[in-house]
Amino acid sequence: MTTTTRHATQETLAASARGLTKTYGQGDAQVHALRGIDLDLPRGRFTAIMGPSGSGKSTLMHCLAGLDQASGGTVTVAGTDLGSLDDDALTIFRREHIGFVFQSFNLLPMLTALQNIVLPLELGGRRIDHAARQRAHTLADTLGVADRLGHRPAELSGGQQQRVAIARALITQPDLLFADEPTGNLDSTTSAEVLDHLRRSARELGQTIVMVTHERDAAAYADDVVTMQDGRIV
Amino acid sequence: MRTVFLASLRTHTRRYVAAAIAVIASVAFVVVIGVITSGARAGFMASSGAPYRGADYVVDAPKDGPSRGPSCCPDTLDTSDAIELIDRLGDNASGLGRVDLSAHREGGAPLGSGESGGMTTVGPIAAAEDLRWQKLVSGRFPVRMGEAVMHVWDAQAQDVAVGDRIRVGEGATATELEVVGIVVSPTTWTQASMYVAWPQYLQWRDQPTWHVGSVAVRGEVGPVQEGMRVWSADEYVRNGLAGLNNDTDMIALMLVLFAGVALVVSVLVVANTFSILFAQRLRDFALLRCVGATRRQVLGSVRREAAAVGVLASLTGTLIGAGLGYGLLPMINALAPTTPMAAPAPPVPWLLGGFGIGLLVTMVASWLPTRHVVAVSPLAALRPQAAVMHTATGRARLALAALLLVTGLALLGMAMIMDSMVFMVAGGASVFTGILLVGPVLVPRLVRVTGALLGPAGRLATENAVRNPRRTAATTAALLVGVTLTTAVLTGMATWRAALDEVNARHHPIDAALTSLDKPITSDLLDRVRRTPGVEQAIDVDGAVAQVTGFDKPLPVLTAPDAGQVARDGGAFARVEQPGTIRIDLSAFVDPSIRPGDQVTVRVGDRQAQLRVVPLSGWGKAGVVAPDTLAQLTDAPEPHAIWVRASAGADPLKLVDDLEGLADAAGAQLDDQLQAQAAANRELDILTWSVLGLLGISVAIALIGIANTLGLSVLERARENALLRALGFTRRQLRRMLAAEAMLMSVVATLLGTTIGVGFAWVGYETVVKRALTRAVMLIPWPSLGVVVLTAALAGLLAAVLPARRAARVTPAAGLSLD
Repeated sequence: MTTTTRHATQETLAASARGLTKTYGQGDAQVHALRGIDLDLPRGRFTAIMGPSGSGKSTLMHCLAGLDQASGGTVTVAGTDLGSLDDDALTIFRREHIGFVFQSFNLLPMLTALQNIVLPLELGGRRIDHAARQRAHTLADTLGVADRLGHRPAELSGGQQQRVAIARALITQPDLLFADEPTGNLDSTTSAEVLDHLRRSARELGQTIVMVTHERDAAAYADDVVTMQDGRIV
Repeated sequence: MRTVFLASLRTHTRRYVAAAIAVIASVAFVVVIGVITSGARAGFMASSGAPYRGADYVVDAPKDGPSRGPSCCPDTLDTSDAIELIDRLGDNASGLGRVDLSAHREGGAPLGSGESGGMTTVGPIAAAEDLRWQKLVSGRFPVRMGEAVMHVWDAQAQDVAVGDRIRVGEGATATELEVVGIVVSPTTWTQASMYVAWPQYLQWRDQPTWHVGSVAVRGEVGPVQEGMRVWSADEYVRNGLAGLNNDTDMIALMLVLFAGVALVVSVLVVANTFSILFAQRLRDFALLRCVGATRRQVLGSVRREAAAVGVLASLTGTLIGAGLGYGLLPMINALAPTTPMAAPAPPVPWLLGGFGIGLLVTMVASWLPTRHVVAVSPLAALRPQAAVMHTATGRARLALAALLLVTGLALLGMAMIMDSMVFMVAGGASVFTGILLVGPVLVPRLVRVTGALLGPAGRLATENAVRNPRRTAATTAALLVGVTLTTAVLTGMATWRAALDEVNARHHPIDAALTSLDKPITSDLLDRVRRTPGVEQAIDVDGAVAQVTGFDKPLPVLTAPDAGQVARDGGAFARVEQPGTIRIDLSAFVDPSIRPGDQVTVRVGDRQAQLRVVPLSGWGKAGVVAPDTLAQLTDAPEPHAIWVRASAGADPLKLVDDLEGLADAAGAQLDDQLQAQAAANRELDILTWSVLGLLGISVAIALIGIANTLGLSVLERARENALLRALGFTRRQLRRMLAAEAMLMSVVATLLGTTIGVGFAWVGYETVVKRALTRAVMLIPWPSLGVVVLTAALAGLLAAVLPARRAARVTPAAGLSLD
């Protein structure tokens, strides 16, 4: 957050990547996961990144989310160049600007659903006041898990866990919400519910969402679809 | 982060239990030592400190100055100076001293019986009530001349009651004293049988044993004569305590060393527990990092968890230790009445120290594991299953280990050459640390080798045991410490004892000897001796009764060609090769006027021989000569002694008692080495068992560690175990697999520990034992070591019971759906 480079054109962009490359390994064993990605993610849109296994879509997401360092190129999220941040600054940036929903293991097993939802606020050192609680309840209500807030993850179904995870991702009103195969572990009915919640979050709350998936059905819920193959956008 | 911290603590409480137990045990150990040491001190204060309890100052004579006291008691005060001081201070002074006087009842019968019959000791009693250190049992304290109180023990032994009159002293100073009270007084140098008022005590001031050792003073002392030293009462008692302190401090130091070993083991166990717990929670930490927890936040949270565990465990350990310590004091008093123990005020420094050490141990033990926690990358949460961390053993670590091993071995070599204990300890520590460092490389290999013996059935267990080399190494390391020390102690003690036995066998070749002067031994007596239980062999020894110059009583002179049948040294002592010498057990006589090498005249009837005395010991009051010499002295030798060899398991007290009976009936005399040796052996036994008991605490903590590692691995492998169950593993097979895993770890640790321990014992033998007892031979107590290995294996099994039951409870389906 030290360098805030804002351009007029980027006002409408939640995130952008320029010339993004990522390689793993050395010499013969070198793998090019990303081979020069240019991508703009407009605000308030629900974007799906599609592609077969090994196409680099997860790597792209990790780099966009500041979970992984790119080998080359730049990532700008909410006007901040992620490459310029050290680990602590990046962590705090993630906490304040980015939300995550993973395929599985989204919730800390020892915390209740409510505690999980407000966790990012708490990590930021904010007091969990009435307003925060209210917001958590509203989100839980919207996502249909209001009656499960006192339960621990082990007592929730897979769909409920994912919806609690979405609530947790939304509580900080992040600039960008990443969902990594959010329906990978769910049956089709529950998948549809979760995807519907994501789409409504984009439409009704103006939330920018990036979803990585390999399911065409899931991608159909998105406003835009980016397809990847062999580390390139096709 | 507070929510996370509290929730983690709550969720993982059960997993922390084992780590907490390790800390609790060590802390309790330290605190018990503290309470008992303080108890010994309080016991001393209650007895020896009693005369000074009500005093502000104490006046005594300096130990190093010229002696001014009476000739009986050099370190006491100049008598006139003391009397002058006490007269000046009046009721504020309490003189402390004693005088030995004759004592008779009314009618002239001596008071008491035996050696001290007709004698008593009389001491002064303070006029001021708060300076009196005697406690009244009945009657009252003496106030005027002619009155006395008597100590309750003497009153009981001599059948004296309140109202009796006793005549004390002789001639001009003889006084009739009326016993007006019975008192108890603690055992100190000032303790006397009777106490009288100071003016009465003064009456005997010209008696040779009359003295005043010190004066306890209430209030200010004022100026004193030269040769008097003034102490504050506190300082004086503390100084007197110093002598005792040196002893208790030595014992406390030794105990603290063992506590130190237990603490090191605890550190290993706790560190391992934390590593495993944190490894299992890696994904939790990664997820926290993903949703925005900084490294510092995660680190802070886990450190606070460790601190919470440390505080709770240390507190519990302190309480348990204090409870145990205070509970042990009356027991020690009952078992060892000669060491007075009193319940001390809570030894605050020890309690705080114990608590602090527990907390420190936990924090130190959690330091490295928590450092690994923050190294976790947020991405770890996104991987389907956290990969098992295969921590490669670093080159640096191996290099350091090699350096320590080489240096250590060199030091041990130096120790053996130079007989240096310092080098030995340093070398031992260095080698052992080196071995612990190569553990992650060494232990898994040993586990594989040992596991191969289990056959294919044990393969899974072996694989599981070596899966995480560092974890396995750390788990076994804890046990290794205890087993190594135990083995070293066992072997060292066995060697030491064998060496002592060898010395004894040479110095005391005959276990017991019956000697008869007046008449020859009958074959009936020999038969009865042989039939006595506990007698392995007995022979009669021919000889003649002789007059030997320098001995006022006649002495049997024997020759014993058959001594080899009973002698511990194979009969070497009795093979007198050079004629012209006589071997005499000079130690059997109270005050022999004969010296080794003296020429003595041995006379039997009208024959005589000039013989040179060679001292040897161990067969009682008799001389041993060459057969030729005996033939020279008598034509008809008769048996005058029976020499007895006790069987290995004989009860020495009973055997000696039985032989004593036979000897008395036959008018013979019995000399024996059995009781003295039994006492020496018992001391060695007590020492050995105490050391083993103390090390046992470390071993127990290490076993908790094994149970802990296994228990946590079971949790970690729930999914795998469920898969095994799904593939057709029965519950019993699963339990067996885990038991085998635990046994592999404990057996490998024990075998390695035994090897190292024997090695250390060998170094100790070369460095210490051989220097003290040159003929000592290294002795490895195989049966004891076998017991250690077996015990460890069984304990390993025991450690597996709970984790295995838990693992077997998981149904195949439940295990597979876990996440």
